[in-house]
Parts: sequence; C-alpha cells; structure tokens
Amino acid sequence: MEDFKFLFKVVLVGNAGVGKTCLVRRFTQGLFPPGQGATIGVDFMIKTVEVENEKVKLQIWDTAGQERFRSITQSYYRSAHALILVYDISCQPTFDCLPDWLREIEEYASSKVLRILVGNKIDREDREIPTVVGEDFAARHNMYFLETSAKEAENVEKLFMKIAEDLMQQARSKDLPRYDSITTNISGRTSSISDSNCCSKLT
Amino acid sequence: MFTGCCGCCSALRPRYKRLVDNIFPVNPQDGLVKSNMEKLTFYSLSSPEKLDRIGEYLFQKAARDIYRKRYGFVIIAMEAMDQLLVACHAQTLNLFVESFLKMIQKLLESTEPQLQILATQSFVRFANIEEDTPSYHRRYDFFVSKFSAMCHSNENGEARDKIRLAGIRGLQAVVRKTVSDDLVENIWESVHMDKIVPSLLYNMQESTFYMKETSNIEIAPEDQVDPPILAETCMRELVGRASFGHIRAVLKPVLRHFDLHKLWVPNQFAIHIFRIIMFSIQAQYSYTVVETLMAHLDENSKSSPTIRTSIADVLSKIIAIAAGESVGPSVLEIINSLLSHLRDSVRHGLSQTEEKQYQEALINALGEFANHLPDYQKIEIMMFIMSKIPFPLVDNNTADNLLQSILLKSLLKVGTKYQTIHLNNTFPISFLEPLLRMSLAPDSDMRLLVQKILHTLIDRHGNLEKLSKPTVNMGALKLTLEKSSRPDLIFINKHGVIIYDALYTSLQINTNTVENVEAIYTTIALLCVELASAETVIDIMQLIFGIQSLSLNSTDMSNAQKFHLQAIVAALLILIPTVVTIKPLLDYAKEIIRARKSEAPHLLPDLLEQYPSKAEMANKLPHLLIDKIAVCEYLNSSGLDSSRLLQMSPYGAGKLGVTGAGTHRHSWVEAGARGSIVELPGTQEVDSVSSSPGVQRKLPEEELTFESMKRVLTEPPEARKEAEAEKREQLSHTFRTATFSELVHRTQPKHDLLQNKLSEIFKSLSTSEMHQSPSERNKKSSIPVYEQNFPELFLY
Repeated sequence: MEDFKFLFKVVLVGNAGVGKTCLVRRFTQGLFPPGQGATIGVDFMIKTVEVENEKVKLQIWDTAGQERFRSITQSYYRSAHALILVYDISCQPTFDCLPDWLREIEEYASSKVLRILVGNKIDREDREIPTVVGEDFAARHNMYFLETSAKEAENVEKLFMKIAEDLMQQARSKDLPRYDSITTNISGRTSSISDSNCCSKLT
Repeated sequence: MFTGCCGCCSALRPRYKRLVDNIFPVNPQDGLVKSNMEKLTFYSLSSPEKLDRIGEYLFQKAARDIYRKRYGFVIIAMEAMDQLLVACHAQTLNLFVESFLKMIQKLLESTEPQLQILATQSFVRFANIEEDTPSYHRRYDFFVSKFSAMCHSNENGEARDKIRLAGIRGLQAVVRKTVSDDLVENIWESVHMDKIVPSLLYNMQESTFYMKETSNIEIAPEDQVDPPILAETCMRELVGRASFGHIRAVLKPVLRHFDLHKLWVPNQFAIHIFRIIMFSIQAQYSYTVVETLMAHLDENSKSSPTIRTSIADVLSKIIAIAAGESVGPSVLEIINSLLSHLRDSVRHGLSQTEEKQYQEALINALGEFANHLPDYQKIEIMMFIMSKIPFPLVDNNTADNLLQSILLKSLLKVGTKYQTIHLNNTFPISFLEPLLRMSLAPDSDMRLLVQKILHTLIDRHGNLEKLSKPTVNMGALKLTLEKSSRPDLIFINKHGVIIYDALYTSLQINTNTVENVEAIYTTIALLCVELASAETVIDIMQLIFGIQSLSLNSTDMSNAQKFHLQAIVAALLILIPTVVTIKPLLDYAKEIIRARKSEAPHLLPDLLEQYPSKAEMANKLPHLLIDKIAVCEYLNSSGLDSSRLLQMSPYGAGKLGVTGAGTHRHSWVEAGARGSIVELPGTQEVDSVSSSPGVQRKLPEEELTFESMKRVLTEPPEARKEAEAEKREQLSHTFRTATFSELVHRTQPKHDLLQNKLSEIFKSLSTSEMHQSPSERNKKSSIPVYEQNFPELFLY
C-alpha cells in the first residue's frame, strides 16, 4: 500500500550523454540499461522512499540533454524542489558546460531549489575531471557534490536518499505551510502535504 | 438478490465498501461484475454523501493493486469510477472527483503504458463533464507535465504512438477543461504553454504530412488518427481558444521551438504551422501573429541571413491572411516595421547575395500585405514608403543609395497590387511630387524603377504589356481604349505640366540606357492612352516636339541616345492619332514613318544599343522631322485648337533649338503670317531665358545664390513673369546686337562656374523640404535644361 507524507519533485539536467537516464533507471528500477538512446523531451519516473519512517514520494523528471529540447525541459525546472546537475567525469566538455547550466537554473528554477552536482561514470578508467575539481566547483556555487556510477550502482541510492532527507528537513524546519505556499503554484495538487496527511489518517 | 458471496467478513464492513468489493470478480479476466456495479451506482445515487468515500476506497484498492501489479483489477476499478462519474449528478461530484483524479494520477505514475493510456481515456471523459462548481484548489500541473512527457514518448514499437496519442489527447482535455473557466487554473501561463506547445509541435513535425498538403483530403477514421494529425487538431483548438492576451503565450514557445529545432531553414514546417495558426486564430487577433513574428525577426537580427530570409518568407506567406483584419495604426506599424527591417538589412550587409534574398523576401511580404488591403490603404502605404525614402538622391554606392532603390522596389511591389480607378486618387500631389522628383535620380536603375511605378499606376486597361516597347505598328497592338473620365482630365490639367516636365527632363539625362528611354516612352504612351482627349493630345504633341528638338540640339548625348529620342518621337506621333482618331495626322505620321523607313531606319524603333556608324544624324535629314506647322494644321482641320501648340513650349531648349537649327525658320514666318498668337520674334526666345547664358550678363552674379533662388520661388508668379518678360526682352536685345564671337567669349569661361553653381543649387534644393509647390519643382527640373543645353546655342 502506497501512501506518502511528502512529495518532492526532482529534475535531472546536464549535457546529453552524461547518464541522467541511467541514474534514474538505476534508482527507480534497479537496472542499468545498456545502449540507452537519447531521451526525447522529458521522461517521468516515480519512487517512494522511506526517510525516518516517513514515506517520501519522489517524482523524478528526467530531461533531454539535447539542445533542441531546451525549451520544454526548462519549463520543468520551475516546479522542481531539487535539481540534479549531472556531468561526465570522463568528458571535459560536459564539465565546461556547467556554468551555462547554472545560468539556466538561475533563470528558470525557483531560487530555493536544492541543487546537487553529480559527477557520473566513476567506473570509467579515463577520468578527466579530478574529484577535487568537481568538489571545488560545487563548493563555489553552493551545491552538494557527489560522484556516482549508474553502472556500478555506486552512490546512486545515496544521492536520492540524501535529496529526500534534505528536502524533508527543509520542509519540516521551515514553517511548513509557508514553504508550501511558495511552491504551491509549482508543486501541484498532490504536494499539498496536509492533504495526504488527511488521507493517511483516514486509512 | 444474490448476496453472501463475500463471506462473513464483508458483513462487518460499511455498506459502501461491501458494494465496492462486490464489483470485482474473482478472476480479473471476467471484467466488471455488471449487476453489482448497477447496485453500487444506485447506492451512490441515492446516498450521494457517500460518494466521496466510495471514490476514496476505490482509489485505495486500485493503488494496492498497482503496487502488486494486478493490473486487471486496476482496470476494473478505473472503469467503475468512470461509470460512477458519468452516472452521478454533477453537484455531488466534487469530492469524488478528487479521488478520481488521484486515481488517474496514480495510473499515470506507473510505467505501464496500458495503464497510462487507460488513465488518459478516463481523464478525457472527466474533462467532458461540466462541473457546476469549479474547484479552485485543483491543479493540473502534474497532468500537463505528464501528458507533455507522454507526447515525447520513445517506447519501442506500437506503444510509442499510442502513448503519444494519449498524451496529446490528455493535453487537449486539460485545455478544454481549464480554458473555459477563468477561475480555475490559468492554462495560458507560460509554465503550461511552454510544455504544451512544444509537445504538440514535436508531434506535428514528426510527420511528413505537411510536405504533401494537397493530399490531405482523405479523412482518417477516428481510431486510425496518428499523432501528427491529432496534434494539429489540438493546436488549432488551442489557438482558436486563445484570447488576445494569451496569443503571445502560445506564440512564444512556437518561435522558441522553431529556433531550437532549427526549423526555419527549410521553412515548410514553419509555414505550415503558421498557416494553421492564422486560420485558427480569432480573426481580430491575427495581426498579433504578424507582429510577433516581426518581433522575432528583430531578435534574430544577428542570425544568418538564410534564417532571416526564411522567417521573412513565412511572414510573406501569412501576412495576407492578416491583412484583411488589420486596421488603422496596426497597418502602418507593420509596414513601418518591415521597412525598418529593410533599412537595417541595407545598412549592415551590403551586397551579399543572401542578404539580397532576405530583402527580396521582405519586399515580397510587403507586397503580399499590401495586396490584401483596401485600395485607399495602398495609397497610404505608398505615401508612407515614399516618406521613408532618404533624400537627396545621390549616385554613389552608399547604403542610402541601396536603400532608396530597395524602397522603390517595395513601392513598385505595392503599386503593382493597386488598381487605379481615378488618377487623382492614385496620385495625390504629396505622392506624385516626390515620385517625379525621384524620376530624375542620378542612378539609371532607380529612374527605371520610378517609371515602372508610374506604369503600373497609370495603366488601367492592361495596355502596359503592349506599350512596353516603342513601335510604329499601332494596328498590331490592339490597345484597349476607353473614354477618359472627367476627374482624370481635371487631374491631368492640374498636374500634367509637372508630369510632362519630369518626363522630358528625365529624357535629357545622358546616362539613360535603352531601357530608361523605353520606360519613359511607355509612361508617355500610357498617359496618352489613358487620358485621350483633345487637351492631352496638344500637351503630348508639345512634349513630342520638345523631345524632337532635344534630340537635335543636345550636346552631351551620344548619337545613339539621340536616335532613341527620334524613335520614340515617331512611335508617339503615330500613337496619338491612333488613340484620338485624327485621320490627317495619322496619314502624316505614316508618311513620315514610311520616309524614315526607307531613308533612315535608325530613327525608328526598335531602340538599339549601337547604331551603324554611317547612320546619319537627324539634323541632316530635316524632311524626316516632324513639322510643327503641318501638325498644327492637321490638328486644326480635325477641330482641335492647336494654338497652344504654337505658343511657347515649356520644354526649355526645344523651340530655341529648332530655330537655331534653322530647319524650321520658315515655318515660324508662316505661322506669323497666319496670325496665330505667337508671332513676334521677340517672344520666340521666351523660354530660352532660362537656358541662355545671356541671363548671366544681365543678372548680377549673386542672383544665382540659393537665397535669391528661394526669393524667386516665393515671389508671386505675376511679378516673376513680368520680370522674366523684361529679361527676355533684354536677352533678345543682346542676342540681336552682340556678335557671335563676343557671346562665345563672354560665356565660355563662366561655363564651369555656372554649372558648379547650378549643381550646388540643385543639391541644396533636393535636400530641402519634400513638399514644394509645383512652381518650385518646375524651376528645379529646369535646371538641368540649362546645364545641358545652353552651349548648343553657340554652335550655330
């Protein structure tokens, strides 16, 4: 039986081919799809996790990295509670594009959005960006940092759990309704947390 | 009835739960238990207060089944909810709907395509229900997001299209549900539109449907609709429902989508989409689309010319649709914007072929737009374009020069679309004047353009083609003639002088090509045909004589150019009596042409670039020239008053030249003997006052300053005439008393100085205000007459 106390929207962004879809698949379905084609537009996945004995539902929007879908993907930033910015540690250009992505996030996402920098593909031998560089970049831009491997399932669970915990803490520590009101436009009806509260009491 | 199948535990549960449980069969393949479903429906109808609990319970059950992947039961639960939704009364639905939507969301969240499609179907059903009380708190954010994502589905095989179709249907349903009620969520917010519009476009561009637009007659049966067609329907609906404030919300993502997906080049798809938009949009807003597209062109000013060309091309394809609805300021705004794009293009990219194509596309757009406006607005537009043409007209390859010719091209384009009815409507003086002034531009291409504009505006009977080349074979032309109306005659009486004068002056320009001369011929011929009347005949005869003497006397024209003039004189001479049936004159014209044919074919059309070197100058063949006296006689005999013809010709060098050449001196005497008005040798030189250097001697040097010219222009004409008469008197006196060599000696050194002065004045005049009185214009256009003709005097 699924019921949840919190609903958070997580959006993955980053250059094409850095492994956003694989991260999501690994997390939601526990598999690593080899030869995954380029995402078209936006993909949607859901996963409910348990944090401190509370059910937290994560709506994960996996966006296309290709430039041509930029207009539709940007429209998804706005409603995000957390944004995962992914780059490929074995591909310098994907790292070089990060400032551009940050600019986009600044422009289109809510200012309160939780931002996480993820260096993916640490299973690869041909690393181009040392961990320190990624850490440094994240620190400078006030982001969380994590290196993952969707293939080896390394840190993937941790990544999403961390997000869930953080968002929950954020939601709890702040005046709940106020946080909600800020994101009401964005968060949609299911995120009305009190609502789902009622539901769970009913059952 | 058949109770007891649920066992003992069901007895402990609330009634509604038992009823709900009963609709589920033991085996999901069996489907909904119909009879029990009827019971449930009856129950919820009789106790509507329970409906929300039923909904909630159904949802709980379905959620559990989804989790356990028992999809058969999920489908049954959804079906039950659908039936309840349809069966129950609207007022009681409100709370039930919450569960219903939660259920749909739950299904959409699953990865199972089948469930997603099922959920969409239910959502569509829900959207078609009218709710009495809108629920303000209900949000469709998730649905828009999810349906948009579904539109981009990339599943394998058949599922892909099915999910995409479901996504489009879902979006359509959301739009339908929300658009009609202002109080519910505003679907027009960019959050939503940025998702909906690109999703639809993405599906539309996938098809090749738009490539073969002709074959779209076949209507696919309902169940065979493919995503592109459905997306198009949805798009039409969306645009059709958009109110003024929301149009931009739709258009912005469209434009962005085209930018990002690089759909401007090639632009078939863009054209396809914009046509759809134009045809679906509420007509009164259609010009907003044009405006938006134009603004987009602004934003793309840095993009490659090919992209801009494509955008402009799209614009030209849709602008016609908007034209019908555009009124007042919006028309000029659009024109203005097009013109400023043209200007920018000219300023920035000189003479790249791509840039040229872009300009062509813009001009096309302008033409298309004008084509669909009522005539009175076309005039307005032409005047507006005219006002944008930079002055002065200079012949150097600057941007200004280019812009002038581009704007003239636009003017021509608009002019071509205009159907003249009355000339006085077509040529308000504020339009005619600058146009004629431009017909004297230093650049020969530009002059040609102006003539073409005149052609298209003057020609009302489709004679333009026939008269495009000078010919003496009038019978073959089969001209369409109609008696000219009174307003037209009034028009030509009023403005004929400046028109003829401009034509004459532009014939004098020595950079004229064959095309220029032919174009001027066509203008005169069209005037002649359109305004055939006794009055005009005399005026045009006068002009013909002016041209004839010009060809005889001009010094700075090449021989070929002189032959051109002779040729058009011949062509016009035969045209006049053909148009206004004057038998004797026609015979005379034929005679002259026959003579020329045998002796001097180079004095007849066609106009050649090069003439054989042995071709003799017309001066040497006086008997082949048109004799004014003879013409007058023929005119008189046909009942036309030719006295005006014998009066002073307005064409500067004309008469003086004839006299100077000595070929017709005897005619003058004859004319005098006959007692026509003009006989005094003194007045014979009247007009030469302006072209003779004698003036120089009589007038102090400072008379030629700009100020003095201005003063001359502002003085009442009577005073000026008097002064002029006096000057003439003095002038003829000088000529009679002074010796030839003295005259030459006196004027020769001043020649250059004078010319410099004159060109200076000419320049300053053309930079001055646009609207000048006709007399001013006369003055100005007569200046080149000076420049070119006075040295002639001393050759004889």
